[in-house]
Amino acid sequence: MRKQWEQIQGIYIHIPFCMQKCLYCDFASFAGKSGLMHQYALALANEIRSRAGEMPISERATVFFGGGTPSLLPIDDLKMIINALKETGLWRAPAEVTMEMNPGTVDFDKLCQYQEMGIDRVSFGVQSLNDKELKTIGRLHAASEALQAIEQASKAGFERISADLIYGLPTQTLATFKDTLAAIVASAISHLSVYGLTVEEETPLATLLANGSLVLPSEEEAEMMYDHTISYLEERGLHRYEISNFARTGQESLHNLVYWHYLPYYGFGSAACSYDGKRRMTNAEDIESYIRGAAPTIEQLPSRTSLAEFMFLGLRTSEGIDLSVAKDRFGVDVMAMFGQEIEKYINKEMLSFDQAANNLKLTKLGMKFGNEIFELFL
Amino acid sequence: MSQELIRNFSIIAHIDHGKSTLADRLIESTGTLSKREMEEQVLDQLDLERERGITIKAQAVRISYEAKDGKTYMLNLIDTPGHVDFTYEVSRALAACEGALLVVDASQGIEAQTLANVYLALEHDLEIIPVINKIDLPSADPEKVKKEIEEVIGIDASEAVFTSAKTGFGIEEVLEEIVKKVPPPQGDEKKPLKALVFDSKFDAYKGVVLYIRVVDGQIRKGMSIKMMATGKVFEVTEVGVFKPDLVNVDVLEVGQVGFFAAAIKNVKDARVGDTVTDSRNPASAPLPGYRKATPMVYCGLYPVENSDYDNLRDALEKLQLNDASLVFEPETSLALGFGFRCGFLGLLHMDVIKERLEREYGLTLITTAPNVIYQVFLTDGNVEMIDNPALFPDPTVIDHVEEPYVRATIIAPKEYVGQVMELSQEKRGEYENMTYVDENRVMIHYSLPLSEIIYDYFDRLKSATRGYASLDYELHGYRPSSLVKVDILLNGEPVDALSAIVHRESAQRRGRLLVEKLRGLIPRQMFEIPVQAAIGNKVIARETVRAMRKDVLAKCYGGDISRKRKLLEKQKEGKKRMKQVGSVELPQEAFMAILKMD
Repeated sequence: MRKQWEQIQGIYIHIPFCMQKCLYCDFASFAGKSGLMHQYALALANEIRSRAGEMPISERATVFFGGGTPSLLPIDDLKMIINALKETGLWRAPAEVTMEMNPGTVDFDKLCQYQEMGIDRVSFGVQSLNDKELKTIGRLHAASEALQAIEQASKAGFERISADLIYGLPTQTLATFKDTLAAIVASAISHLSVYGLTVEEETPLATLLANGSLVLPSEEEAEMMYDHTISYLEERGLHRYEISNFARTGQESLHNLVYWHYLPYYGFGSAACSYDGKRRMTNAEDIESYIRGAAPTIEQLPSRTSLAEFMFLGLRTSEGIDLSVAKDRFGVDVMAMFGQEIEKYINKEMLSFDQAANNLKLTKLGMKFGNEIFELFL
Repeated sequence: MSQELIRNFSIIAHIDHGKSTLADRLIESTGTLSKREMEEQVLDQLDLERERGITIKAQAVRISYEAKDGKTYMLNLIDTPGHVDFTYEVSRALAACEGALLVVDASQGIEAQTLANVYLALEHDLEIIPVINKIDLPSADPEKVKKEIEEVIGIDASEAVFTSAKTGFGIEEVLEEIVKKVPPPQGDEKKPLKALVFDSKFDAYKGVVLYIRVVDGQIRKGMSIKMMATGKVFEVTEVGVFKPDLVNVDVLEVGQVGFFAAAIKNVKDARVGDTVTDSRNPASAPLPGYRKATPMVYCGLYPVENSDYDNLRDALEKLQLNDASLVFEPETSLALGFGFRCGFLGLLHMDVIKERLEREYGLTLITTAPNVIYQVFLTDGNVEMIDNPALFPDPTVIDHVEEPYVRATIIAPKEYVGQVMELSQEKRGEYENMTYVDENRVMIHYSLPLSEIIYDYFDRLKSATRGYASLDYELHGYRPSSLVKVDILLNGEPVDALSAIVHRESAQRRGRLLVEKLRGLIPRQMFEIPVQAAIGNKVIARETVRAMRKDVLAKCYGGDISRKRKLLEKQKEGKKRMKQVGSVELPQEAFMAILKMD
């Protein structure tokens, strides 16, 4: 029988179109290119057909439409892509099919259509439930629209609803953040991703901060938001199953777990990334080049690098790493190789090791300073 | 070959005035190397020399030149460094020559370092041939430079050669001038061998290779020679010349420049400056040697990985084989563990050695801030030489302290005189005199503490004069100074490697600047770190490195993994040069903070 890591376990489909680019965004997404959507969908279907046989695939491989704003794609184009997945046998009995969307781009009918097409999980880019904050970062929707969208998704029959939130936004305070968190938890969501705002170079946000037009909350305040997130969500029954992801039991994102478990996945579409266990392959980032069929860039992953990635990804999860899997996959005894360093962090109460289960994981403190530990394995 | 046909010469020039290019042209135009073998800065063989465009080690090359008089001459060029740190190398090279080309940039004019080297050449009674280079530049004013040479140095420049080493203009004329003006060697071929060792290098196969100038007699393969200073006897295994690669010949005759090897394993047996003679028929008296180079600047070198200590010692020993001016001895620091206190000729020398240790020997090092050597007079009448601030005696047992002073020569455009004087005054300088180099430039002499030169004098001089000033200095004895030791405490614990000796009047200010600087340099850790400066038990300044709050919660999905990994790799790389001192990780920059505060 094939090992889990010898089969594709997830499929990522990238839809790079946006109505408007958010001020903090440095993802491969583009506004003002909606004229290319149909051509893009054709190119995507093509890529799926030509690459479908590259690797064995699990019958239950998850599917994830990410972006950009996938919900901007016309239904017919979406159908064409799903058909390509089905025809090629990539979509048989997916364990989970997620679609990312922005509030304001979907209505009840559309959500019902998604449901009929087999999509069973939606993920909303909510970011904040404070209108002033939303405006500051260039989001197009209002807080009320976000809550409405969640409600309609629930009405349309979705049980698996997720939202993304950002803390540390300009003008945000601990009080407004607490309000956002309370309101989102009270909605129909069963899964939350909470990220600290990262100011990426060369984004409009970076410029506005540099010239003083915007100001970030102090580090102390951002830390309080972080601490509040951890304790509050736990209290409300959303357990932390990965460094920045929280879910009600059984509602964890199976697709994202594929990444954190370092299992193979296909990525289709511009800027999408595939991983086959030995190499990582990234498609051309810009839409036109992708449509023209530009070659992907390929990164070979030596086993030492693979092990490092396996470790720092696995440690992101609350369950941690079963070191016998590392032994099985890479032939490496992690405790023999990194024991001394690991010991150091066990003493600092940042790592914990369960000998009986051969399980290594971050403690709560370790999760707060994860980068310090991830670095060990490089 | 008759001595009449030999010319031994070197080139004196300020950095960037075109010395290496001129040497390249001389080598090229005489066909010493074919076009194919030629590369830029052909005599600068260290990677570092090429990258920085400087000469660190003296090099030699034999050039064969057919002059206009129809005779073929053997010209030996001994290339020399231009930087003040390497004056010692220069004086060795000059002792092996009868003449020197003085290369001056046609638009820049004479600089302070050129002057120092010309005076050295004059001390050795060398014939000086002025060469005014870069005349192709639009800003060139060769006539003015000619006048400068006459007025400032006091030598006849009426026959100065105008050249452009870049275009090749005037090269032929330079060669003719060397033949005409540089006197041939005056040795006696019948006398017993007498040769001056002007440099040496260690070769894994040949042993020590000695660079020599034969003064009397001759040296050949198989001959038994004696090193006059040590009395050690060796059999010559190889004799050769520089082309500029080492090429074996049968014999080096009187007046010639070349090398020999004699299976000498220990570099101490083949000291630079020593005289080589025939062991069976020795010369009666050796040639005058050189003064040993005295290190002026000291610092601690510590491996980041304690386990590299032995490797560091091996590497230092190997470098010392080619650089006798490098001195080192083991030292222990509470903060940094086992390392070496090393003495250097100056800051450039220190930089070069450190970089070579890291590049050529793959070491990662922490360098403590450089300092001078202090004479501490104790109340019990004893005198201690202190080359490490951490070892500065307790003030209660000190009678007084003396520190080294230099005599500094500054050449700058006259409109900057005010700034130069203001800066020199601030740096505790004592004005000596000022003269005009030409109608636009002045030469100012100051007596200055060497420690101020190491600190930031040169950088500030450059910025005060928009880069136009040049500086040279020579050690000028010790003088009493009011000095105190400033200690730095992290988490309340003194860190010996961060201690500094400063003038009492500036102690308060420097202490405050230093802790501010350190606060910015010490990465935040999971706990708060107080940073204090203290004189004795008295804390004079305090700052706090705040605790690191947390990592930012961040996405990590399929497409981010490579990027994440690269960020982690960068983070790890940044920590490589960190040294764990107690519970605090210190970056290299922290140890240099004392030098970079304004």
